[in-house]
Amino acid sequence: MTTPGEEASVTSDFVRSYVITGGRTLPDADDLALHTLVTLAPERIRPLGAGPEVMAIWNLCAGGYLSVAEVAGHVGLPVGVARLLLTDLFEQGHLLRRAEPPRAQNVDRATLEKVLNGLQSLIG
Amino acid sequence: MTSLTTDPLLWILLVVLIAAVVAVMRARRTNMALRRTRKDLETGLGEARGDVGQLHTHIAALTAQHQRDLADVRADAEAATKAVLKSAMGTLQSLAEEQQVLLDDLLKKYGDTTDVLGDLMTVDHTGSQFGRRAKGISVLCGGWLGRRDGAATVYDVARSAQGRIRDFNRVSVHSQVNVSLVGKAVEPVAVVLAELLDNATNYSAPGTPVEVNIQTVPTGLCFIVDDAGLGMDQETKDRAASLLSVDGPVDITGLGDPPRFGFAVCGMLAARYGFAVSVGSVSPYGGVRAVIRVPESLLAADAPSPAVDAHDTAGAEAAPQRLAPVPVVGPSHVVGTTSGGLPKRRRRNGSVTVVPALDAAGQEGTPQPVSEVTASRLGAFARGTQLGRTTNTTEGSDDK
Repeated sequence: MTTPGEEASVTSDFVRSYVITGGRTLPDADDLALHTLVTLAPERIRPLGAGPEVMAIWNLCAGGYLSVAEVAGHVGLPVGVARLLLTDLFEQGHLLRRAEPPRAQNVDRATLEKVLNGLQSLIG
Repeated sequence: MTSLTTDPLLWILLVVLIAAVVAVMRARRTNMALRRTRKDLETGLGEARGDVGQLHTHIAALTAQHQRDLADVRADAEAATKAVLKSAMGTLQSLAEEQQVLLDDLLKKYGDTTDVLGDLMTVDHTGSQFGRRAKGISVLCGGWLGRRDGAATVYDVARSAQGRIRDFNRVSVHSQVNVSLVGKAVEPVAVVLAELLDNATNYSAPGTPVEVNIQTVPTGLCFIVDDAGLGMDQETKDRAASLLSVDGPVDITGLGDPPRFGFAVCGMLAARYGFAVSVGSVSPYGGVRAVIRVPESLLAADAPSPAVDAHDTAGAEAAPQRLAPVPVVGPSHVVGTTSGGLPKRRRRNGSVTVVPALDAAGQEGTPQPVSEVTASRLGAFARGTQLGRTTNTTEGSDDK
C-alpha cells in the first residue's frame, strides 16, 4: 500500500464551472460584451445566500467601473460564467452598465453638402 | 412290573424324554453358539463405530483445511486483483485529473464563445463523474485519492461533490457555517459526499430535490444529505451499516454485479481518515437521511473569517488602489547587486491575483507587500486587455 507521502497532488479547479452556473444556459455574448463596463449600483444590499463567486464579483464591482473581461480575469472564471453571474446581478438591479458610446451615424451626403454650403455662405 | 415294561406308553414316554433331552441339549448348544456370535458381532460393531468416529474427525479436519486453503487462495486472488486494479485505476485517475486541468485551461480559453463553453462544460461534467468512479475503485483497492494542498470551505467541498454526480442540478447546498476542512480531508469528504449524493439522486424520483445541509455540532461538523425517495428496506440498511463500519479490506468481488461501490467506498474512506458516515435515518421528506460527521481534528484551525467580512475589506481596499497603478517594485524583491551596480531582483513564481482568492481568504492576516499587489493588478489589467483584444473579433455585432 502506498504511503500518504506518495499521494499525488491534485490541482484541477475544485468547484467545477457547471456547478457555479447551476447547469443553466449561458447568456449570449452580445448581452454583455467583453469591453462593457459594469459597476455596482449605489446603495445596494448584498443578496442573501449569494455564492462566493457572486460575492467576489460584488466586491470587485464596488470599487468603480470594470470591464466584463477584467471581472472574469480577477475572479478566475471563464468569461461566459462570469457573464452569467453578472447578468443575474444586472437583472436584480444590483449592477449598472455604462451606457455604450453612441455609434457614429452615417449622415447622408446631401446634409453634409448643405452644412458646407451654409458655412461657406456664412464665412466666405 | 412286566406290565410296566411292556407298556408301550412307557416306551413312548421314554423315547420322547430322550428326544426332549437331546433337543434341549442341542438348543442350549445353539444358544451358546449364538451368544458367542452375538458377542463377537457386538465387539465388531463397537470397533466399526470407533472407526467411523475417527473418519468423521478426519473428514472435519480435512474440510477445515480445505476451507482454509480456499480462503487463502481467495485472499491471494483478491489481493492480486486489487493490485492490478489499483495500478490500472491509478492510471485512469491521473488521466482524468489531466483532462480536468486541460479543461480548466480550455474553459478559460474559450470563455467568451458561449456555444463552445457550454459544450466544454458538458464534457467537464462527464469527466468529473468518470474521475469519481476511478477514485472510488482505486480506494477500495487500497489506492489513494489525490491530495489537495489547501484547505477548502465546507460549502466548496459540498459543491465539488455536487459536480461529480449526474443529476447535480437537483442538489441544493445550504451552508450555515463558514468553516474549512484541512487539505488532507478535502478530497475524501468530497468523494464520500458525492457517493451519498449519487445514491440520493439515483434512489429518488427524477424531479425531486436532494438537499445538503451543513451544520456544526459540538464534536465537529455534519454534512446532512436528505432525499425524497422511498427510503431503504431493512436488508439494504443492514448491508449499508456493515459496509460503512468496515475496519479492514473490502471484498470487491462481493459487491454484486453490477458492483455497488458507494457504501464500501464511504466506509473505507471514513475509516482511513477518521470521520463517520451513517445512513438509515429517515429524512424530513420521507426518503433517506445520510450524515457525514467530520471531527474537529479535520477542520482547519485557522478558519477563514466569514466571507462577508473578508470581502468587505477587500472591496474597500480595491477602490482607491484602482486609481494608483504605479509600478513600484519594492525593495523586497531586490536580492543583491550585479557587477555593473544594477539591482538584482528575485523572480516571482506564478501569477498573483488581485482578488484574495476565495480559498485563500484565510490568509488575510498576512497582507501581500504593496508592490506585489500593485504589480499583480497591473498584470491582471494587462491580461484582461490582452484577452479583450485577442477575442474582440468574435463580437461581430458590435463592429457592424
